[in-house]
Amino acid sequence: MQVDISIINTYLLMVTLVAMIANFVLSLYGVFFKPHYIKKIIALSMLSDTANTITLYIGYRRWVDGVPPTIPVITNRSIEGIYDVVRRSVDPLPPALVLTAVVIGLATTLFLVYLGYILYTHYKTLDMREIKRLKG
Amino acid sequence: MRAVEIVVLISIILGFALLLTLGYQYLVPADDIRALAKFYLLTTYFNPNYTYTAGATESVTAIVWDYRGLDTLFETTVFYIALAGCLILARGLYKEEKEASKPGSGLSVIVRSVTKITAPMIIAVGVSIALHGHLTPGGGFQGGATMAVLPLLIIVIFSLTPLIKRGFTPSRLAIIRGLALTGIGLVSIILAVIGLVLGINAYVFQSLPKPDAPLGFPSEVEGALMGGILWFFNLFESIAVVAAFTIAFIAILLIESKR
Repeated sequence: MQVDISIINTYLLMVTLVAMIANFVLSLYGVFFKPHYIKKIIALSMLSDTANTITLYIGYRRWVDGVPPTIPVITNRSIEGIYDVVRRSVDPLPPALVLTAVVIGLATTLFLVYLGYILYTHYKTLDMREIKRLKG
Repeated sequence: MRAVEIVVLISIILGFALLLTLGYQYLVPADDIRALAKFYLLTTYFNPNYTYTAGATESVTAIVWDYRGLDTLFETTVFYIALAGCLILARGLYKEEKEASKPGSGLSVIVRSVTKITAPMIIAVGVSIALHGHLTPGGGFQGGATMAVLPLLIIVIFSLTPLIKRGFTPSRLAIIRGLALTGIGLVSIILAVIGLVLGINAYVFQSLPKPDAPLGFPSEVEGALMGGILWFFNLFESIAVVAAFTIAFIAILLIESKR
């Protein structure tokens, strides 16, 4: 009996998407409601990683001829090789955008860590509730 | 619940509803990729139907440094400004000269020996990722981030003293980083300047010769694919990134050891 597996594929991809959205919501919760500064930074990096994963997910494609899609790298430099890559490869634009986003995320995280250090030397605590109380 | 929590919750729900509304056709990956992706894949190495090509076999690096080169230049600028902000925040909190740590400090002899053996391998892998960025997955940023593991390992396993004693102070690394960024800037405008001097049409960020602009970087050298401008950008970007990460590690640990 022939079983149509495309509905199972769609279901599994949808599970991935819903899990990422849940991850997104959890990290937003962490950014807003966790009182500790380092935990806020961790939640922020989780947020950016989830956004990057969703971007990569948008550029993904279904399996071609029963094999997974390949990376967008041309190994056989003939015309047939190039057309084969076009037929099998994932979208190359989201990885390029994610590369930019990762670098900028890393830079801002680095800056936030230094800022946290200065906060700690000023207030002797990184608890945001305490810092709000000790304002000034 | 306080009012602010309710507002945040409602805005999250409404925002995701908007996101899913706008992107409903991409919720599940399709059988085929979009026309833009096909254009990138077709023109990145060879041009069966188009006049212009990037001359590299790796699409992602070609997009990052050639198709969207200006975007990546500003990304590098953001990284530079963030690092400058870090050093401004840390200003006056550390001295660059550090008294030598007492001999025998650091981790055990097994860990030290393994680090000494693996150090050249890390550098080799990083350089290979960076300089083959136009041929295989990788590129300047990835290679630089790989190489930046080594200073971190040395700091953890040996202590800061070997790095500082060999002259890797934050100010010197900042000079190296500035030189690498200057290289990126020069490579991106040099063809336009030459074109201005000679009176030939040339573009900023031009990689390979175009039909209306005959100047260009070499596509191949001795049979090895160069990818035009990509090789130079990968080289300078990897140097800039490894210097940046090393500055950040050393500066924050110098502050910490002073306290």
